[in-house]
Amino acid sequence: MRPVGYRNPVGAVARGVALAVAAVLFLLPFAVLVRDGLAAVPEVFADDEVPFARSLLNSTVVAVAQTAGQLLLCSTAGYGLARVPFRGEPVVRHAIVATLLVPTAVTFVPSFVVVSSLGWLSDLRGLVVPGLFSALNVFLFRQYFLDFPVALEEAGRLDGLSRWGVFRRVVVPNSTGVFAAVGVIDFIGSWNQFLWPLVIAQDSSSWTVQVALSSLLTAQNPRVALLFASAAVSILPIVLVFVLLQRHLVRGVTETGLGGR
Amino acid sequence: MSGRRGALAFWAFVGPFALGLLVFTYVPIGWSAYLSFFDARNTVTPTVFVGLDNYADVLTDRAFLDSIGTFTAFAAFVIPVTVVLSLGLALLVDRVRIAKAFFRSVFFLPFACSYVVAALLWKTSLFSGLADGEANAVLGWLGVEPQAWVGTVDPPLYWVVVVSARLWLQVGFYLVLFIAALQRIPDHLYEAAWLDGASPGWQTFRHVTLPGLRGVLVAVLLLNLVNAYQAFDEFYNILGDSRGYPPFARPPLVYLYYTSLGSGGQDLGRGSAGAVVLALVIALATLLSGRVFRRAG
Amino acid sequence: MLAAGLLGLAACGSNTGREGSAEGTVEHWYHAYGEDGVQDAVRRYAAAYPNARVEVQWNPGDYDSKIVTALQNSAVPDVFEAQVKTDWVRQKQVVPLDDLVGDTRDDFVRALLDSQTVDGRLYGIPQAIDTQVLFYRPSLLRQAGVTPPTTVDELLDAAKRLTTGGVRGLFAGNDGGVAVLLGPLLWSAGLDFLAADGKAPGFDDPRAAAVFGKLGELNRGGGLLLGAPTDWADPGAFVAGLVAMQWTGLWNLPKITAAHGDDVGVLPFPRLDASGAESVPVGAYSAMVNARSADVEAAKAYVKWLWVERTDYQTEFATGFGAHLPARRSLAEKAERLGSGPGAEVVGFVTRGGRIAAPARWPARANTALSDAVSRIARQGADATAELRAALDVARTEIARLDR
Repeated sequence: MRPVGYRNPVGAVARGVALAVAAVLFLLPFAVLVRDGLAAVPEVFADDEVPFARSLLNSTVVAVAQTAGQLLLCSTAGYGLARVPFRGEPVVRHAIVATLLVPTAVTFVPSFVVVSSLGWLSDLRGLVVPGLFSALNVFLFRQYFLDFPVALEEAGRLDGLSRWGVFRRVVVPNSTGVFAAVGVIDFIGSWNQFLWPLVIAQDSSSWTVQVALSSLLTAQNPRVALLFASAAVSILPIVLVFVLLQRHLVRGVTETGLGGR
Repeated sequence: MSGRRGALAFWAFVGPFALGLLVFTYVPIGWSAYLSFFDARNTVTPTVFVGLDNYADVLTDRAFLDSIGTFTAFAAFVIPVTVVLSLGLALLVDRVRIAKAFFRSVFFLPFACSYVVAALLWKTSLFSGLADGEANAVLGWLGVEPQAWVGTVDPPLYWVVVVSARLWLQVGFYLVLFIAALQRIPDHLYEAAWLDGASPGWQTFRHVTLPGLRGVLVAVLLLNLVNAYQAFDEFYNILGDSRGYPPFARPPLVYLYYTSLGSGGQDLGRGSAGAVVLALVIALATLLSGRVFRRAG
Repeated sequence: MLAAGLLGLAACGSNTGREGSAEGTVEHWYHAYGEDGVQDAVRRYAAAYPNARVEVQWNPGDYDSKIVTALQNSAVPDVFEAQVKTDWVRQKQVVPLDDLVGDTRDDFVRALLDSQTVDGRLYGIPQAIDTQVLFYRPSLLRQAGVTPPTTVDELLDAAKRLTTGGVRGLFAGNDGGVAVLLGPLLWSAGLDFLAADGKAPGFDDPRAAAVFGKLGELNRGGGLLLGAPTDWADPGAFVAGLVAMQWTGLWNLPKITAAHGDDVGVLPFPRLDASGAESVPVGAYSAMVNARSADVEAAKAYVKWLWVERTDYQTEFATGFGAHLPARRSLAEKAERLGSGPGAEVVGFVTRGGRIAAPARWPARANTALSDAVSRIARQGADATAELRAALDVARTEIARLDR
């Protein structure tokens, strides 16, 4: 128990009021969204101004594929760096960490050039693949695996498992917490990303939900009710993820500092 | 562990990622550096070598310098406000006795929202120029005329819109970091301070809480700094429209977007030079501030 | 393993990208017209084309940026609407369409065809003529004792005097008129984007600073509506009675007369003084063919069918939803909305003072530089002469580049 301030009932009340006011302010935008958007929700899928249903599907595919891909690629790489002895490891590790100094958003122009040369414009590959290689995630997994109990691994080894077998059957099942934490944050980040899909998804068949929303918002004649309804639909899946997996999310944020923007 | 087998196992784990990083990070950076020395208007495979012209262009382009200057100011403003707000709310949530989890969730919920959705809410409702926008309704109670929030340049009211949207989205994230850090401060430190006669308000905060938060403060400041320079989504969606983007409040990424890919000229050479300069600025700022914060901490 | 999974996923997710549209399909992009019914109509036209499958993409948002990015990197769209840019021709991003018009050439409005022509070759088939005018409410002007403005000063004065209670004098976009009044302001001072020969900027003149200074006065005068829910291209503010005058597209005439009946007047943009001229901007989105299209001939055949042969669709497109002027003289006579009232007056404005709003030789970067300069002058009180000098430098370099 923290003694600080508990003895002052006036202070406690003042703090309570301040919290309540702040909470109302933070919830106000959601209230506005529901107030102005709910009525027009049926229109969202009937309207053909933008292919909204398709964009929801695209966002889902992109977010799921990106989350799964990142978890797989970054956890294996993190494990390799942490636990597979190799003389060149420091060089590789530094080459990975060095890219942290160059924020991915700054490389969007050159990345666009690469993706367009691959012929991946307006293509889900172009939306998903370049985002899979997060040095930050690798670094976090490496830190985590450095502390992974060696005894558990050795037990697996004695059972005749290969290195890959140990990783898959011993390390991963005992690390679900970190996977869940990183995964939830990746999923939310992927669902909400905007600049990259804006640049890559030119053809409306590849628009993500954020691009569809933005084009409605920056249109010559924005239709406010439709906008709000579309926005409400777009945050529904993510609010669901938030509410169901908040425990992992909070853990992920507090233990890794991931997800700031 | 013999060298060759070890190497094989290592690359089996690290190889796929390393290859991807090579193709999607190192190649783009290299290609960008290459493009920045060419006249690459409307093409990604340029042939006309122009030396440092693109760099000269970018570094004398007022729009680019403005974007860096403006964003240094933006960062200088938004970072302290974010820290004070998120820390203040974290202290409140940390001490409240009922509904602690509820309050944390409320402040954290906007984290699930995208900047596009926030921009939409802010631009068309909360800060719309009409008298029935929420912000103008508040002004109305105070007897002040409705303001065109996004459209007013002098004084620059659009900053209120952009900054408050960013605060709404990111304060909860930092608040969660702070709450966790507060909970890691051992209770006995507070008790000791209390026994030493420290008053429960400012003195305790100054001598117990703040020192306990040093590590997380450094992290929060660095994250904030890098993120402020990368601002794009809310600016593009609040200030941009179907015709493009106004000449003010252009973050560096908005500049790069319109220069290299938007209607502003499809000049990938200049855009690449700008990206290289910006990457250097951010790297430098990160390293410098990291060093400064670490020394201070 | 993962990569393979993703490739499979993507393969079924999209048939576009470098490979271009699916075989036998023509992809046709439009910007998002604000008038109800246009989208349905163009989808209907596409469905009626007998020789290929046509897919229409409707693009709300920053269409110009989308087009330039797509032209540079992508085989889609095959067909799109835009105004021809000399730059695109130089980069071989669009193909000439002279053979499509054939002997209908003389039927198209001459100035329109000229505006879509670069080095003697036609690159876009004009779809319709768009123009913008100053709509006003005669009843409100009478109440305030204001006569319809014929000079820029009178316009400023009217905007101020018409501002009473909840009504503002004038709406010309949420950016204070910077984007949409750029051309009309230049023309009102007897200037233009380009010099007569197209080889130099047309605003290297102290009068440019004077006229853009007027826009600053307008912005500071308090008579301008800013922060409306919709922008200048939408009649919302005028229809809702938020303003007494609005600068917007003629295409909004049906919605405006539906709201205000006979209480609607139209004016061209006034002149600065005796050596300037009244004007209305003339824009013409034309149908163009992407040179990277997987099947340029199929795309051209479709354009010919829709924008040369199907005069019934062309008439409906121009006059059936909003009010546009048909791009062909033989169709103009059939346009009922333009036979009387405000529509007929506007036809007169276009004939007397129509100016090409986006000349092919006026480069995007020059336009950005000029509108940035004007924005700083009008909205932030920057020094007009210095700002324009900087814009002139950019414009000169960019224009010279076209002939390099």
